[in-house]
Amino acid sequence: MSSFLDRERTVASPGFSRWLVPPAAIAVQMCIGEIYGFSVFNLPLTRAIGITQSLPDRDWKVPQVVLATYSLGLVILGLAAAFLGKWVEREGPRKTMFASSCCFCGGLVVASFGVHLHNLAVVALGYGLLGGIGLGLGYIAPVSTLVKWFPDKPGMATGLAIMGFGSGAMVGAPFGVELMGRFRTPTSVGVGATFLVMAACYFVMMNFGTLIVRVPPPGWQPEGFAPSAQARKLVTTAQVAADEAMRTPQFYLLWGVLCCNVTAGIGILAQASPMCQDMFGVSPLVAGGFVGLLSIFNTLGRFAWSSASDFTGRKAIYVVYFLLGCSLYGLIPVSQRINSVALFVALTCVIISMYGAGFATIPAYLRDLFGTVQVGAIHGRIITAWSVAAVLGPQIVTNLSAYQRAHGVPRAEAYNTTVYIMAGILLAGLICNLLVRPVDPRHHAAEAGAPAAGAAST
Amino acid sequence: MKKSSPLSVALAFLVVAIPLGWGFYRSVKNSLPLFTAGRAPAVAPAPPPAAR
Repeated sequence: MSSFLDRERTVASPGFSRWLVPPAAIAVQMCIGEIYGFSVFNLPLTRAIGITQSLPDRDWKVPQVVLATYSLGLVILGLAAAFLGKWVEREGPRKTMFASSCCFCGGLVVASFGVHLHNLAVVALGYGLLGGIGLGLGYIAPVSTLVKWFPDKPGMATGLAIMGFGSGAMVGAPFGVELMGRFRTPTSVGVGATFLVMAACYFVMMNFGTLIVRVPPPGWQPEGFAPSAQARKLVTTAQVAADEAMRTPQFYLLWGVLCCNVTAGIGILAQASPMCQDMFGVSPLVAGGFVGLLSIFNTLGRFAWSSASDFTGRKAIYVVYFLLGCSLYGLIPVSQRINSVALFVALTCVIISMYGAGFATIPAYLRDLFGTVQVGAIHGRIITAWSVAAVLGPQIVTNLSAYQRAHGVPRAEAYNTTVYIMAGILLAGLICNLLVRPVDPRHHAAEAGAPAAGAAST
Repeated sequence: MKKSSPLSVALAFLVVAIPLGWGFYRSVKNSLPLFTAGRAPAVAPAPPPAAR
């Protein structure tokens, strides 16, 4: 079994179609992206004992559940991606994707056991810790593989994979709701059984990806592809090892680019429903519809914008994300002043499409600057920016709007200062992006295709 | 040399497209109230001038 998972066994034979790799990547990313839809379990988990209503002394509270699952899972995702990136590159995508499926689905099984015991620490150990490791492994392995298969269309390839992650909530949330509906009984909210069924389904789907994924043979190029013909100032044909990449200013500038882009978007995404209700007085049902629409734009934006970056170049497309995003944020208070929900929805949908696109375009940007050999490991380290932004964004929006309300600002106007701050964060990201220059050749590996000395030691 | 058939590529995409399509359909369905439902005023209406 272990030999089947080895990198050597996954090298594609002549005639293999590289178009089999995107579905493999989407299969894995769509499953682990379920974490974005985990909020559908929050309320049922707070009624695990009381069933129809939460028992104050015995049931868990929503913040406890969110911390043990969603927050812990995302933090561990970042850490796993950062620390296991080089292992992922060494062992290849098949072993990594299999390990990811074992961790993520095993985590769901452990979490189910935790729900059965009504022990939040076991739920955290399962979904947060074990599941988080599965998330980290499953997030970077397919992306790095696709970048190697599609040197001619890296933005489109990474856009496809990361679109899969964005769609995780679109699939996982209604799937979870359907299953809970089927397993709910007068004595159970059905979450434990739902986790078990989801674990089984996701295990099958993720290992469908494991079976069909391949890595290209060394030196492989798509037919008719000439790297020099597509040469751009920021696109290197050299290779930079992960450890060496961290000694370049470009790594930290891209870290800043991702952090600013995600902070600005995630703040809106996390508070979309209350924001829409507070600013325009719409019902919770309508606000729920708004959240559904955002998830569609978050998913489609990943593919559309990232594919466009193959034509514009990565630096130029991030200029668009930041400048357009900043302008649209500036218009949100206008939509509130003229009480136009349609304008607000249009603005936020475009903003969120660029939030998703920021995730999807960064692996291609890394590939442009650092080459393909350790792009997965470098991507894994950049992902820590996401973990930071996942804390910063929602905190800024929640606390600042609460502060505004506490100081007498009308509820409908309480988000105005926040959106201006988000626009400022996007401007900071723009500055980071404009400072990006080609990597100094002294950081390049001695031979193309080989990491620098000492880079593959761990 | 074993060549991947276009059918196997299409099937692989179909395997992921089915759940994706279902999720997309559910999201569109959920977002419909945004376009069909009415809404309450954002802020309490100001009292008429005579009552001030």
